[in-house]
Amino acid sequence: MDGLPGPRVPADRTEILANGHGDQMRKHRSFKALLTAQLPKLVLSPSLIAVFVGVYLFICWTAAISFSSSKMVPKFDFVGLEQYVRLWSTPRWITAVENLFVFTMLFLAITIALGLFIAILLDQRVRAEGVLRAIYLYPMALSFIVTGTAWKWILNPSLGVQKVVNDLGWQGFVFDWITRPEFAIYCVVIAAVWQSTGFAMAIFLAGLRGIDNSIIKAAQIEGAGMARIYLSIIVPMLRPAFLSVIVLLSYISIKSFDLVLALTNAGPGSATEMPSTFMFSATFRRNQMGVGAASAMMMLMTVAAIIIPYLYSELKEDRDGH
Amino acid sequence: MAKITKILMAAAMILPLANIAHAEGKVEGIHHWVSESEVGALKVLTGSLSTKGFTWEDSAVGGLSGANATQALRTRLAAGNPPATMQFLGYEGIEWAGEGVLRPLNDLYAANGWEAAIAPAILPFVKAGDTYFSVPINMHRQNWVWVNKAIFDQHGITEPKSWDELIAAGKKLKEAGVTPIALSDESWQILEVFEAILTDQNGTDFYKKAVIDLDEAALSGPEMIKAFDTLRDVRGLIDDGFTGRDWAVATGMVASGEAAMQIMGDWAKGEFLAKGMKPGVDFLCFPTPAATPNYKFVIDAFGTFVNEDAEINAGQDAWVATVMDPENQKNFNLIKGSIPARTDVSVDDFDDCAKRSFADREAAVAAGTMVGGLTEGFAAQPQYAGVFFDVVGQFFVTDMSSQDAVQMLVDGINNAR
Repeated sequence: MDGLPGPRVPADRTEILANGHGDQMRKHRSFKALLTAQLPKLVLSPSLIAVFVGVYLFICWTAAISFSSSKMVPKFDFVGLEQYVRLWSTPRWITAVENLFVFTMLFLAITIALGLFIAILLDQRVRAEGVLRAIYLYPMALSFIVTGTAWKWILNPSLGVQKVVNDLGWQGFVFDWITRPEFAIYCVVIAAVWQSTGFAMAIFLAGLRGIDNSIIKAAQIEGAGMARIYLSIIVPMLRPAFLSVIVLLSYISIKSFDLVLALTNAGPGSATEMPSTFMFSATFRRNQMGVGAASAMMMLMTVAAIIIPYLYSELKEDRDGH
Repeated sequence: MAKITKILMAAAMILPLANIAHAEGKVEGIHHWVSESEVGALKVLTGSLSTKGFTWEDSAVGGLSGANATQALRTRLAAGNPPATMQFLGYEGIEWAGEGVLRPLNDLYAANGWEAAIAPAILPFVKAGDTYFSVPINMHRQNWVWVNKAIFDQHGITEPKSWDELIAAGKKLKEAGVTPIALSDESWQILEVFEAILTDQNGTDFYKKAVIDLDEAALSGPEMIKAFDTLRDVRGLIDDGFTGRDWAVATGMVASGEAAMQIMGDWAKGEFLAKGMKPGVDFLCFPTPAATPNYKFVIDAFGTFVNEDAEINAGQDAWVATVMDPENQKNFNLIKGSIPARTDVSVDDFDDCAKRSFADREAAVAAGTMVGGLTEGFAAQPQYAGVFFDVVGQFFVTDMSSQDAVQMLVDGINNAR
C-alpha cells in the first residue's frame, strides 16, 4: 500500500523548518500530492468520457430506439418488443443471420488455416522472405471496396475466371457462383480470405519468431517428427497469436459491410445480405429506424455472446499464469 | 471629443454598407446531383438565382440514390442548422413536412398559379393536406424501352404493342444470337421491369390498388401471379453476366449493339446522347407496351426549411421562384434529359423522346393514367417498396414459383405494416 514514500519525507522536514511561509508551502505541497494521486484519473478521463459517450451512451440510445415506433426520425415512445417481432419475421433478416454465421465460420477457419500454413512455410528461412511477406501482406493495404469491386469482375462469368478458362479452350468450364443465390456468399468468403490471409500470416509469423529454437531442438532430440513438433508444440504455443487473430477477424466479419456492398450489393436477390447491410438499409433507406435499431441490438448481443466468454476464458488463464 | 465623433461618423457610414453586403444573401441547398449533366443542369438554376441577388451555396452529397444526402440533412436538422433548401425524391418531402420542419409555400403557389401549371398526379408529392411544401423542377418517365435501332431493323422487329409481343421479339433475337434485354441483378432494375409489366397488363387502377393502397386481395390476386410469370419469361431473355451490372453499363450494351433492349427510365437517354447517338436514327425510345398507355412519373422537388432569419426566407422565396420559372425549367431539363414539371412549357427545343414524353403525359393526365413509379419511391412508402425490391429481386435470381413470390410479398407487406 505504501507506494509513495517520497513526498512524505520533505513534508516532515517542512514542519521542522516551519516559519512564516510554512502554511503556504504545505498547501502547495498537498496540492502536489493530490495531483500525483489524481493524475492517472485525470489523464484517462477524456478517453473514458469519449468512450462512455461514443459507445455506451449510443448503445443505450439505440436500445431506446429499438423499443420505439421510430420510422424516419427518432421517436421516443414505447412499443415493447414490436420491432424485434417484426425483425424476426423478416425473411431478409433471417438470411442475413444465416449468412453471418456461414461467412464467419468459413472466413475464420480458412483465413487462420491458410495464414498459419503460409507463416510456417515462410518460417523455414526461405530466400527473399521479405519480398514474399510483403506480397502476402499487400492485399491488407487495399480497402474492402477495392477488393470487392475487383473480385466482382474476377468472379463475373462473362468477364472473369470463367471467360478466361473458356477462351483457353475448356468450353464446359462453369464458375458462376456469384450469379447463384445459394453460392454467392462463398464468393464473399473468397474475397475476404484473399484480403485477410496476409494479415493472419503476419501475426502468426511474429508468434513463430517468438518461439525459442531450443524447444524445437529438444523435441528433435526426443525423436519427434516435424509435423508432430508443429502440431503438439508450436501451434499450442501460438495461443496468444490465435487470440488476436480470432478477435480481429471476427470483428472484420461482423462489420463486413463495404465488402458485401461492393462485391454483391447484398444480391443476387438478397442472398448475401449481412446484418450490417440490413441494418443500414432498414435505418437509412427504408424508414424503419426501429427495425434497424433492433437489428443493431441483435448484432451487439451476438458479438457479446461470442466474444465475452472467449475473452474471459483466455484472459483468466493468462492471469492464472498459464 | 472630436476623435470620438469622427469614429462614430465613420461607423455610421460603414453600417449601411455592411447591411447592403449582408442583403446579398446566400441560399444553401443540399442535393445529390453530382454527375456531369446533373451539375450542368443545376447551373441553369443557380445562374438565374444570382441575377436575383442571391448566391447559391452548394452542399452536394452524392451517393446511394440520395440516401447519403438524407443522412446529412438529418444531422443538420438535429443540430438546429437546416439548409435553406433541399432536393426531395419520393416520400422524403412528405415525411419532413409531417415533422413540421418545412415552410408552407401556399402564398407563392396561389400568387403564381402554380397548381394549374403542374400535373394533378404529382400533387401528393408537393402538398400535404392543404399545405404546399415543395416545388417540382423536372419529371422523368420511368417506363421506357430503349432500343438499338440497327438490331431491330436487321431482324425486322417493330415497336411491340404488348408484353407478349415484346417477349416473342426477344425470343427471336435470342435465337439469332443477340442478347435481347440488358438487365442486372440489382433489385431496383428488376423492379422497374416488374412494375411496368404489372401496370401494363392490368391498368393503372389495379396498380393503384395493389401498390399504393396495398390492398391484400389485389396483392394476392391472379394478376400478380401473371405478372411474376411474365417476369420469369423476361429472365429467359438476359445474358449470364448480369451480376452487379450498373444501369449505365446495361445502357451501354444497347448502344454498342451487344444487347437489343433495355427497360429503364429516361435518364438512360443521356447515355445514348453522350455517345453522339440520335433518337429515331440510332436508337429508339417507346413506352413499355400496354393496351392503355400509362405514364410512370419520377420528380425532383425542392422544399424549404423553416428558418427565423428573414434574409434566409427571402433567399428561399427567390429560390422557389427560380425553380418554378418556365424558362429555367426548360433550360434545366434540356440538359438533365427529363421534361419540365410544368406542363405549360413549349416542347419545341426538345428531342423526339422528350416530345413523346410530353404528348404521353398530356394523354395520361386526360385519361387519369398517370401514376408514380414504385421503384423510384413515388408509389408505396419506403418500408413497403423495400418488400417489393426483396421479393422481385429474389424471384428473379432463383427458381421461386410465382405463387411463392406472391405469398412472400403479401407476408412481407403485412409484416411491414
